[in-house]
Amino acid sequence: MKRHVRLLRTAVVGGASLAMTLALAACGGSGDSAGDGSGEIHVLVYGDATNKVEKQLVDTFNRTSKVKAVLDTIPGADYQSKLQTIISGKQAPDLFFNWGGGSIKPYVDAGLLMPLDDFIAKDPGLKSQFLPSVFNTAVVDGKPYGIPMRGTQPVLLFSNKKALAEAGVTAPRTWDELLAAVKALKAKGVTPIALGGGDKWPTQMWFQYVYDRVAGPDHFQKAVNGDKSVWASADSKRALGMLKELIDAGAFGTNYDSVKFTDGGSPALLATGKAAFELMGSWEYSTLQDAYPDFVKSDLGYGTFPTVEGGKGDPANLAGNTNNFYSVLKSTEHPEAVAEFLKLMYSDEFVKGQLGIGNLPTTANTPKFLDGSASPAYSTYQYDLVKKAPAFQLSWDQAYPPAATTTIHQAVQQFFSGQTGPDAFIAAMQTLPAA
Amino acid sequence: MRNRPNYLAGLGSLVWLFVVGLPLYVMLIATFQSRTEYAANGPLALPERFTLDNYLNDLDDGFAQYFLNTVVVTVCVVGIVLLLVPPLAYAIVRSDGKATGRVFRLFLLGLAIPSQAVIVPMFYLINEAGLYDNLLGVILPTAAFAMPVCALILSGVMRDITPELYEAMTVDGASPWRIFVQLVLPLSKSGLSTIVVFSSLQAWNGFLFPLVLTQSSENKVITMGLYDFQTEHGVDIPGLLSAVVLSMLPILLVYLFARRALVQGLMGVGGK
Amino acid sequence: MTTTAVPTVDSAEKSARRGRPGGPVTGVGRPGIAWAAPAAVFFGLFALVPLLLVVVLSFTRWNGLGSPEFAGLDNWSRLLDDPVMVKSLWLSLVFTVLGVVVQTPLSILLGVWAAGRQRNRAVLSAVYFVPLLLSITAVSVLWRAVLDPNFGVPSQAKWLFGDGNLFGTQAGAIGVLVFVSTWQFTPLHTLIYQGAARAVPGVLYEAARIDGAGTVRQFFHITLPQLRNTVVTSTILMVVGGLTTFDTVLILTQGGPGTDTTNSAYYMYQKAFKSFDFGGASAIALLLVLVATLVSLVMVRLTGYDRMRSTMEGV
Repeated sequence: MKRHVRLLRTAVVGGASLAMTLALAACGGSGDSAGDGSGEIHVLVYGDATNKVEKQLVDTFNRTSKVKAVLDTIPGADYQSKLQTIISGKQAPDLFFNWGGGSIKPYVDAGLLMPLDDFIAKDPGLKSQFLPSVFNTAVVDGKPYGIPMRGTQPVLLFSNKKALAEAGVTAPRTWDELLAAVKALKAKGVTPIALGGGDKWPTQMWFQYVYDRVAGPDHFQKAVNGDKSVWASADSKRALGMLKELIDAGAFGTNYDSVKFTDGGSPALLATGKAAFELMGSWEYSTLQDAYPDFVKSDLGYGTFPTVEGGKGDPANLAGNTNNFYSVLKSTEHPEAVAEFLKLMYSDEFVKGQLGIGNLPTTANTPKFLDGSASPAYSTYQYDLVKKAPAFQLSWDQAYPPAATTTIHQAVQQFFSGQTGPDAFIAAMQTLPAA
Repeated sequence: MRNRPNYLAGLGSLVWLFVVGLPLYVMLIATFQSRTEYAANGPLALPERFTLDNYLNDLDDGFAQYFLNTVVVTVCVVGIVLLLVPPLAYAIVRSDGKATGRVFRLFLLGLAIPSQAVIVPMFYLINEAGLYDNLLGVILPTAAFAMPVCALILSGVMRDITPELYEAMTVDGASPWRIFVQLVLPLSKSGLSTIVVFSSLQAWNGFLFPLVLTQSSENKVITMGLYDFQTEHGVDIPGLLSAVVLSMLPILLVYLFARRALVQGLMGVGGK
Repeated sequence: MTTTAVPTVDSAEKSARRGRPGGPVTGVGRPGIAWAAPAAVFFGLFALVPLLLVVVLSFTRWNGLGSPEFAGLDNWSRLLDDPVMVKSLWLSLVFTVLGVVVQTPLSILLGVWAAGRQRNRAVLSAVYFVPLLLSITAVSVLWRAVLDPNFGVPSQAKWLFGDGNLFGTQAGAIGVLVFVSTWQFTPLHTLIYQGAARAVPGVLYEAARIDGAGTVRQFFHITLPQLRNTVVTSTILMVVGGLTTFDTVLILTQGGPGTDTTNSAYYMYQKAFKSFDFGGASAIALLLVLVATLVSLVMVRLTGYDRMRSTMEGV
């Protein structure tokens, strides 16, 4: 018996000392990140090439501000997962990158975000200096929660002019022209359309546009707001039928689900002429510029998505990422500093920096600097599109809350691969939670 | 009569050599060419213009830092395992208390806990302890999950020490501590090297814990560097493959210079 | 069996702990539970406590924001109705069985072959070993590039790969996953078998040769039976590895096409960190643990790991 007590004691002492080691280590760890407490704001952004500009702006800010900004980045596809796991904890940033819409809705619902009305009241520029169609993407329940902080990224139909010419087709303006082009290209042995189906979101882009052209932007808006019946509407079925027709015509070849955009597969298909079209976000331009500068100079074409006869959507409507946004956490200890930092998002320095790396900001002063952009013609073209677009549909997987992403991606992929039909697609979309 | 099957075996061994070698060949030659060339000429063609840019770019991108982090993680994990497992295995083999038996069964059960299964609460605990995005937060669970197998391997080796040796020492009045230091440890060298190899591979190649428990580039380990490389510079296959080559270099060096120890260590994973 | 030894051990231990190494000369100096305590506490803290939390979380609703809410059996009843869950269990099983079936004969043959002392075998074995130097992440990334349908090997070998749509069909994607694990892990198992094959006493072969048995017969009548225990060990490693396949799925297929390679481990991760359904994810996690425990219990029975313990009891 005595021995047991002794053992217990040993175990407890051992455990306690281990726990203490841990606790000490924990103190050490958090001491580092908390800093001196007298003034730091943490700015969390998606890690990629644009960080260059963000870093520059943080430096500019820190030159004059007492409260110092610290830039934290989360690279890659895990941004959303990481954000959700830290946003309500000790590691929460003061302001963070997001896609507006559904991507911040759960945080608004959880009472984590600060409505920006007060900031805007003090500095109206925080609203008036941005294109309304973009600014509105981050309005949730009638209140603004985000300030645009990067470039707009509409989805465009890119093409390889040489491949088109060889097949004797021109860039299609209507859906029927697209179908005809597909036929002609296929006859030439070229994959008509490159699709990075392995990533799933490129597949989704086709749904976004066809639904917009056929059913109009209100259709999806209703769905996101919780009206599940619209997925079973005649328009919805017509859109699915058209997509099916395109797929069955062999527009995407047969192995698109093994191709990815993110590993360079689909852009390479386009650049090497093995495929003639690719529907992709405007970043396609800089991606190609990076890897195939000669192709971009001579043979890269770009245009809007074809119109659909008898459809309800305006041919000038766009889909894609309207922009990215900074949202502010209620828990921030330095709201004034945050407001000051946000003002930089429509500064000349910001606009020049973004244009310099090929991004297209959506501020009122952007046109002044378009000539200084990395590719003036392309930037001007895009800016005009965005400015004139009657509606700019945020990507479906961003418009819905993050939890819906997997379902959407699986549904679009299974529909494209022919594994499921329209009914299964409709049923899958009807399971999505309202945003 | 004994020769014919050997030809067959020889043929089979060459087929396997091809399977093993082909991707390695693709990887190596891709790293020495530009992406344009790789896309244009296909994966099997030799580079026309030899370049080291891919490697240099990777190092610029912070792979040196990831290396250092991975080394820190690996050394610490091995340290913890070496500190805790030998006494445990010793107790498993030599103690006769019921409690030790239970502890052993606990570790056997541990074999069946996949690290994925506990990742959610692990994230919660590490976050609460303030160790999120801290290398220590990766080290501790990695070490814990390396322990069951290590305990199994080492106790297996320690069992092979003949009871007579123990008796001889205890007749001399040696304490468990002295027996442990003077008898058990020297005679379990093979087992110790096995658990060093096993736990360091575990740490070096760890994926899930760093994936969920770290985020910033200061605390990135190599596997995360590779994973993020895919999404960040997705287009750049030669760059990506150079990073893969870089990630294996240290182990390759160990392999070249300490092949025997490494191989013996791994053979030990399967038991004596 | 051990009762007679207990009192003496006890006193030896006590004296040892008092720092008096002298003690009763007749006693056997055995270590006490204190020797196992640090490891046990450490392991408990980082493996068992989280496991308990998994149990708790599986009865809650939690999306990572705010605090978990008690949800009763909600997650569990949802799981049972979830076709993807059932499919994922099935896929885990498929990965595991295919892994064992493909890797075991391959690594036995390679291992026995490599156990020969010939020079060329040593050289080739050294090359075979290389995949083991790469992490699973690196291997997955590498194969993703190598198997790209347009710019990888399939584009050069159409006779073998057709249109190269390996990741677009279930059979193709499962094939890739099994193949990639085989590529990476066969070297380890080869090594294990090589070690075991070398440990087979030479006299057995000599005796067989005198009886006129050829290589093939020697292999089946001597080598294989002698490797029996090694097969079990190696299989355990494969089974545990197969059930928990995750990195390869995440990097190579993301569970696709559709949900066709979404095994339980990946489904759990997806539920937790993509759909933020931590309650549902915990329920899957628990299921995973239960299955793995069941499997390893059966394995432990088969291997006699537990008997090993009891035979040593009286020593």
